[in-house]
Amino acid sequence: MALLRHSSRTRRRDATDTRMWTWFMLPGTLWMTGFLIASLVLVAVLAVGTTDDLGNPRFGFDLSGVRALADPAYTEVLVRSLGYALLTCAICLLIAYPVAYTIALHGGRYKHALIAAIVVPFFANYLVRMYGWSVVLSDDGPVLRALRAVGLADGNTKILNTGVGVVAGLVYGFVVFMIIPLYAALERLDVSLIEAGRDLYGGPVRTFFYVTLPATRQGAAAGLVLVFLPAMGDFVSAQLMGGPDQIMIGNLIQDKFFQGQNWPLGSALTMLLMLVLLIGMFGYLRRTRKDEAEARR
Amino acid sequence: MTLLRLPSATAPTRPAAGTRARRGRADRKPRLLIAVTALFFALLYLPIAVVALFSFNSKKSLTVFGGFSLRWYRAFVHDDVIISSLGTSLRISLVAMAGSVVLGVALALGLVRCRTRLGSLAGLIMLVPLITPEIVTGVASMLLFKGLGVDLSTGTVMLAEITFSISYVTVVLRSRVAALNPEVEEAAMDLGATRWQAVRLVTLPALLPAVLASAVLIFALVFDDFVLAYFTTGVDPQPLSVRIYSAIRFGVQPTINAVGTLMLAGSIGLIALALFIPRLFGRRGGLDVLSGE
Repeated sequence: MALLRHSSRTRRRDATDTRMWTWFMLPGTLWMTGFLIASLVLVAVLAVGTTDDLGNPRFGFDLSGVRALADPAYTEVLVRSLGYALLTCAICLLIAYPVAYTIALHGGRYKHALIAAIVVPFFANYLVRMYGWSVVLSDDGPVLRALRAVGLADGNTKILNTGVGVVAGLVYGFVVFMIIPLYAALERLDVSLIEAGRDLYGGPVRTFFYVTLPATRQGAAAGLVLVFLPAMGDFVSAQLMGGPDQIMIGNLIQDKFFQGQNWPLGSALTMLLMLVLLIGMFGYLRRTRKDEAEARR
Repeated sequence: MTLLRLPSATAPTRPAAGTRARRGRADRKPRLLIAVTALFFALLYLPIAVVALFSFNSKKSLTVFGGFSLRWYRAFVHDDVIISSLGTSLRISLVAMAGSVVLGVALALGLVRCRTRLGSLAGLIMLVPLITPEIVTGVASMLLFKGLGVDLSTGTVMLAEITFSISYVTVVLRSRVAALNPEVEEAAMDLGATRWQAVRLVTLPALLPAVLASAVLIFALVFDDFVLAYFTTGVDPQPLSVRIYSAIRFGVQPTINAVGTLMLAGSIGLIALALFIPRLFGRRGGLDVLSGE
């Protein structure tokens, strides 16, 4: 009897609790729905809208913005953006893996300090970092001077105003997104697995490819997504490090909204960017699901 | 900015066995790896060092250092346009910090404790800004304000920044709330406290270090944010990062080095503070009792 009364009281308390926690949740959720979800829907709606003579958006159903995307000039920019973003992902992986590996497995007691030393500058102003990077890569900057000194570059070699410069900017901007998940994965890695690989006469290279790399695959996949998302949408790197023939889809969007005043086309381009990213995200989710299913077996 | 997971401060420590030089070949110091890492750190800090160094240059050049001088800092202090932008940025950061912390803390508490369908939907909505590139959210916010007929201003930047900061506060606090032991709240209620009193007197104080850390983090992120501010700012004194953007686009101005150096120092200081706050509270304040570990 006592037990029964207690449980009914608990249930009543649970019900009031749920109501209260819902009230806690509501303001933030409503705010985000009103300002974020609604605005994203608006982009989709305007992509099939038009503008009046003054450039004000008019809602309606007009596919001219979407149809304009078929212009080969835009296809070229989209393909270039995809290429630069994928190249950035690959280079970030090549840089981040040894760095994360060294810190996680050989960092000893400096591990946390070293990771903090990588994360902290990332929080510094993106523009200032990019601008500093463009000075470093400039024609008489330290990087090109060093390359010339060792004979890897001559007087005509340029980094700035080339595609190399854009990708270098993207890598500098987002490599930290690759290092953190890889570091977390390598941290969790059981070192005895590597030792077992060695005990079974696997050389360092074989052990790496058969043991370490598969065990940290999920960290790498997370890093690839985290780098791909912002790299694909960036417009600062192409502006500071690339010439006019290096523009990416972000620059096009920016141009349509600020110089061109063609908002339907800008919205259509934004939706196109989102579509590419959603395909990427979808691939990642499928991959991780498959991995998890395999791990459970 | 997209999703960033900070490394867990309490990463489990692996047993040190096996790292000793048992098998000579296998456990040799990885010279190549260390060299690559050192080169990485050099390239990571070189741009920041260059900006800082040339902010003290007596010449206008960005490649030739003519000697130490505070010339560009003086130019910054006397530049009314940049100073008013600084004020705008500070106001935006403070408002965004206050708004997003209040909404984000409540959201984190609700999300962890409320296991309804509405709760999981709210959890999904919260993740959207973290997986959407900033240019998309920037464009979307601008269109929303324009569609509502609202003129872009400092106020619209504040609203947009709050929207995207809520997610960060919630992400930082969610795990912290989940680690709290709900039985302590229940004990308070068994002792006569109302639900709300239990939250106010028990839960919120326990969350204080994490709340302060996330507040500092948001301040730094919003102050440095460029893309969102760029799309939602009006003709008021523009935020500092937008001002820097136009200055960089129209040629090199050494004053930017001075402003940039101050901003770098400020953000690095704030982030160090955010990392340090939880440690400051350390074992005081009954945190360990509540964390249920």
